[in-house]
Amino acid sequence: MSDEGQSDQFNGRLGLIFASIGAAIGTGNIWRFPRMVGANGGGTFLVPWLIFLFAWSIPLVIAEYAMGKRSRTGTIGTFRIFAGKKFAWMGLWTAWISTAIGFYYAVVSGWTIKYFQLGISGALTGENVDTTEVWNAFLQSPGQVIFFQFLVIVLTLAAIWKGAKAIEKVNFYLMISLFALLFLTLFLSLWMDMEDGSLDGAMFMFTVDFAMLKEPEVWINGLSQSAWSCSAGMGMCITYAVYMSKDEDTVLNAFTMGLANNSISIIAGLAVLSAIFAVSPDPLATVTGGSSAITFLALPEVFAKAPFAPIGPLFMMAGFFLALSFAAMTSMISTVELCVRNFVDHGYNREKSVALTGVALFMFGIPSAVMWIKLDSEGVAFPEFLEVQDHIWGYGLMFSGLFIAFSIWKYGYLRWKSGVEAGVAPPGFKGYLGFGVSAFRDDFINTGDNDMEVGRWWDLLMYLAFPILFSVLMISYFSDMIANTPDVWDPTNPKGLSIILLFWGVIAALFISFNKFLIQRPLYRNIPEGAEVDISSLPGGDDDLVVARGEDAPGFEYLTVGNSA
Amino acid sequence: MVVLLDSVPYGDMPTTRTLQEVERFGLGDTMMQNGKVIRTRPSFGVLIVLPLLLSLVAPIANAGAAQEQATGYAPEDIWSDDYNNMIFPWASANDRVLQFKEYHSYETMKNRMLRLAEENPDIFEFHEGMNGGTNARGEEVTANAYEGWYYGHASPWMKITADVQDGDYNPFVGDNGNYADRHDVMIVGNHHAREWMSYTVAIMQLEVIAFSYGNIGYDNDGDGLIDEDPWGDANGDGILDDDGDCLGLDASFQDSNGDGTACGPGDLGVDEDYSEQFITDLVDSREIYLIPMLNVDGNIYDREVFCPAPAWESCPSGGWRKNLRDNTATGVTPLPDLQEEVDEDCDGVDLNRNYQFEWGAPLGATGPLIPGTCTPAEGELDGSNNDVYNGPVDDRDNDGDGQINEDHVDGKDDDADGVTDEDWWGGNSEPETKFIQDLTEMNDDTGDGSSEFKATLTHHSYSELILYPWGHCTDCQSPDHEQLKYHGQQMADMTQYSNLQSSDLYPTSGDFCDWHYGVHGSYCYTSEIGTAFHQHEDDIDHIAVRNLGTGFYIAEIADSPRERADLEIANISQQNYLAPGDKVEVPEEGDIPVDLCVANDFPYSESNSMIEWRTVKPSRLQSDYGPREWATTAWESVPVKAVMDETCSVPSGNGTILRGMVPISETATGKLHYKATVSTLAGSDLFQYPSDGAYYELDLSYRAAYGSVIGSFLMFGITASFVWGGLAVCLRMMLSDDEEAIDLTDALLEEEKK
Repeated sequence: MSDEGQSDQFNGRLGLIFASIGAAIGTGNIWRFPRMVGANGGGTFLVPWLIFLFAWSIPLVIAEYAMGKRSRTGTIGTFRIFAGKKFAWMGLWTAWISTAIGFYYAVVSGWTIKYFQLGISGALTGENVDTTEVWNAFLQSPGQVIFFQFLVIVLTLAAIWKGAKAIEKVNFYLMISLFALLFLTLFLSLWMDMEDGSLDGAMFMFTVDFAMLKEPEVWINGLSQSAWSCSAGMGMCITYAVYMSKDEDTVLNAFTMGLANNSISIIAGLAVLSAIFAVSPDPLATVTGGSSAITFLALPEVFAKAPFAPIGPLFMMAGFFLALSFAAMTSMISTVELCVRNFVDHGYNREKSVALTGVALFMFGIPSAVMWIKLDSEGVAFPEFLEVQDHIWGYGLMFSGLFIAFSIWKYGYLRWKSGVEAGVAPPGFKGYLGFGVSAFRDDFINTGDNDMEVGRWWDLLMYLAFPILFSVLMISYFSDMIANTPDVWDPTNPKGLSIILLFWGVIAALFISFNKFLIQRPLYRNIPEGAEVDISSLPGGDDDLVVARGEDAPGFEYLTVGNSA
Repeated sequence: MVVLLDSVPYGDMPTTRTLQEVERFGLGDTMMQNGKVIRTRPSFGVLIVLPLLLSLVAPIANAGAAQEQATGYAPEDIWSDDYNNMIFPWASANDRVLQFKEYHSYETMKNRMLRLAEENPDIFEFHEGMNGGTNARGEEVTANAYEGWYYGHASPWMKITADVQDGDYNPFVGDNGNYADRHDVMIVGNHHAREWMSYTVAIMQLEVIAFSYGNIGYDNDGDGLIDEDPWGDANGDGILDDDGDCLGLDASFQDSNGDGTACGPGDLGVDEDYSEQFITDLVDSREIYLIPMLNVDGNIYDREVFCPAPAWESCPSGGWRKNLRDNTATGVTPLPDLQEEVDEDCDGVDLNRNYQFEWGAPLGATGPLIPGTCTPAEGELDGSNNDVYNGPVDDRDNDGDGQINEDHVDGKDDDADGVTDEDWWGGNSEPETKFIQDLTEMNDDTGDGSSEFKATLTHHSYSELILYPWGHCTDCQSPDHEQLKYHGQQMADMTQYSNLQSSDLYPTSGDFCDWHYGVHGSYCYTSEIGTAFHQHEDDIDHIAVRNLGTGFYIAEIADSPRERADLEIANISQQNYLAPGDKVEVPEEGDIPVDLCVANDFPYSESNSMIEWRTVKPSRLQSDYGPREWATTAWESVPVKAVMDETCSVPSGNGTILRGMVPISETATGKLHYKATVSTLAGSDLFQYPSDGAYYELDLSYRAAYGSVIGSFLMFGITASFVWGGLAVCLRMMLSDDEEAIDLTDALLEEEKK
């Protein structure tokens, strides 16, 4: 289907939107968001969360779409073109982080499928079900965990084997089902919450405590929830933008994706909180408790008390975990695609790349699945190796966002400098502010394909708000860690700082030294016919090895054949 | 000029600067850790631009952190300049004697005592010797019986108690301020003339009492905190520096007294901010008989004749020890011979061998010299055998029964005549010991014939020891051995001296403590201060500071030393308990009451007891896949109040409920950690519950309302219109914009058909 040497495209706008939403919506919306709402004063939390949707997530997604749409390559190619040859490693970093997260995310996705299976078989709804026992038994049987991990990978590979059109279709069905299932759960939750006379879960979720708004804690949490749950800055949107049709509206897509992501969060939050408030004697303690704890321990207990027994609880349990597994699967798809896209860009055969990625995901995911399964102080099993992986790579993601901002800053500065030389741009700092700062926006966002012109606000957010918010996140994260982690500098402490820095350092050093090999490979751009993809003004634009798909790269003519075969 | 300086109020010390230091410094370890954290936190620039570099230098950063850990504050970062330089607040900085940079002489000491008595007439009454009269043994004694043989001074002493001019007058002793309900304590310095620190510590105690009485909440070290580090290990963590300020110093400052122990007693920042309330309470409830220089004769002779100044050079390892009894001119009975010069080979009596209890007992006793044979036998060192001469044998028939020395003082009725110890062999022959004897036996506020001094302390030099009875026998234990040992250990912990039974050092007979304990049942301690007889003058101040706490400790326990020790030994304190988490009832709203049950016979003090608490919230670092992580806040404290109309039960019966109200907001969730500190009567003993370093945990549930209907409707409206409304607008734009675009559903359906 994608073998004609022609570009691989989504069929329509909605396909792109559904794929992007699928990437954005993951377990963060469904199991992290309700916990954050509970821990940060209910409706109070929604204020920063909403603000940062517009101040952080959407601007970054706009940038990603714009970059991907122009470069028409995955993350490595995009950074090679946008940040320059020396910085192709940034794309490699972005790809690696996403893939490294994929290693354990497949395991986590497997859990959700297992819980769907448990839910549908009624194993969670019976009398005297000890959810802790169920959870511990599952996590402590490596065979089962690996089986479900394997299942997730097989399903994911099947979905993306054939490229954009298949991804589009799978995401479409999964997302629609996810909406439906979540609404079903929400309906049952609200019903449950109404039964005790008041919608106190909903009330809590939407009541703003103005005194609490003064707490920096709430704002930092709102920012990190926005930054993580939307996948902004992770390269997902760069990847999917490769498949955009030539005159796609990047801005509208970014807004749609961000808002859809938050819509799902609200529905999931409402469903989870209402259900917990309906049955739990101390709902906030339940919801602010551990993480996997609430999803796999508390929620089954809560859902078991759904109305219309026995069919209600069964529906609710199965429906919720199916929705969760769909959310996880669609994110998994984007993760794999991000990796595969980078291989394909460099002239590798798609099927081989998919297979290779799949094998790698499975192999490297196994330690997360079975290693260091421990019991916490409350007797709940947890996978420590997986947690450490999350600990290390979760924050590495932030740098991917920084790299995107870096590319934008760099482009603005270079454009202004060459503009001054050419006499088209005003010199001096004022000139830079006027011409350079808005250069990226003028050249790549407001291309005429958009319904909405993006104004000066985007520059302000990218140049001012982004660095400030990035620093706040980083500093608060590291200072919290240093303050609260015993032996934080001990390199053997898996939760310490040294191990994070060590991993980051090794990976970054490796990638930077690998950069020179990377740019010796040709880069094949996935350009739809008639699309405006001029890259000559970009730092990496002047590169003989960057060619359109189907064209010959000098010295690598043999690849053109392999590429299109 | 001096007057001007003197009038500068000490309260003008620069405390504002140090207050900030203290805020940063905080409440010991946790905050210290915080301070460390602040300094080791990587800068933002490094974080954002060079994560790589940072990671590559991680091992170096690690080493750097370790180094930072060792680097602490300098004294000037924390305390006032005066405190750093050991300038005491009671005198101008350049008065070297009052600042304990030089030793007092008899004259300057007496003048200072007079001055203090004059300035503090409500608590001090100055005396020299006693009036005399008929003593407890029926002897007629005149005032000059207490005057030294040679120079003729009676020992100066201070009667210390609140409203010292009121109370009963004792015509024999000559003092006012005798109250039947106040416990008496005797503190004696300088039995031995050359032991100069022994009177210096007593004088410093006097200065501290004068300065601290009623001066509640004085910040002794100028760090902005009050009473944060009392004598000894108040918080029971095994560390004297309760507030951790000395331990927070850079290591190079931690041993300010140069004794080789970092943050030991006498170092800057250790036990430096004692409670003025504690001292005031003691003065209000005790009668303290402070006799700094018992052996005036010997002291003057040692200072002026025997050891020409500076004494620590002229007499590095010796000095004059005894009083100045003229052993050559007198026979068995003392006949003062003022014309004769002191015969250093022969004269003097060791006052601390001259008390009557087991006087001259075989072990450790030095038999009386035969008059006229002072010159040492050939081969013997000059006068070496004389230094512990215990005084002449008393061959009088003390009880008038025609027999001599038939019942010496040992607490037993040796002659089985129904009267105990009525015809002694010797002892109490000297003006100084007689003074102690008659003061002890005549100061009978209650009129019951027994000594009022339930606790007594005598300072000596040197060896860094605390000694308790017995001294006259080896391999023997007194009936109160365990209790005596207990209090000794408390004082030894305070000074980091060794706690020993006196005879385990070497046997002595006729010493102050054997007599006080053996005859009068007083808990008596000998502190062997410092490391030399004539300690170098540079060391006066910090050695005095190091030993200051013992005088107050002995005053504190003077109410009932045995019961106090029993209380500790039998661990009555262990009956007290703090309500564990499942016994705390969290009210619907407001502060959470935490109850502490204290046994009724436990002498608690409400004002110094407290509940300490902190909250624990799920940390922001919460991982999505692991167990919950908690972050703790710093410890805070709330006072406790006795609950009047309820009781609680302890193993021995009923207890009192001390309740602290912990201020936890209704919206708080997470956990509460709490523990209690209970103080005894005057605050020197602190007990921790549940136990040292441990705490209880209470799950906090959200107690506030979950929100308001109107507010939540409003917020729901805003959120929904932003998110769902925005989404609808976007989708609408997208679809209307793309009329001709392929409808995805159709496209997919078509494909299916293919």
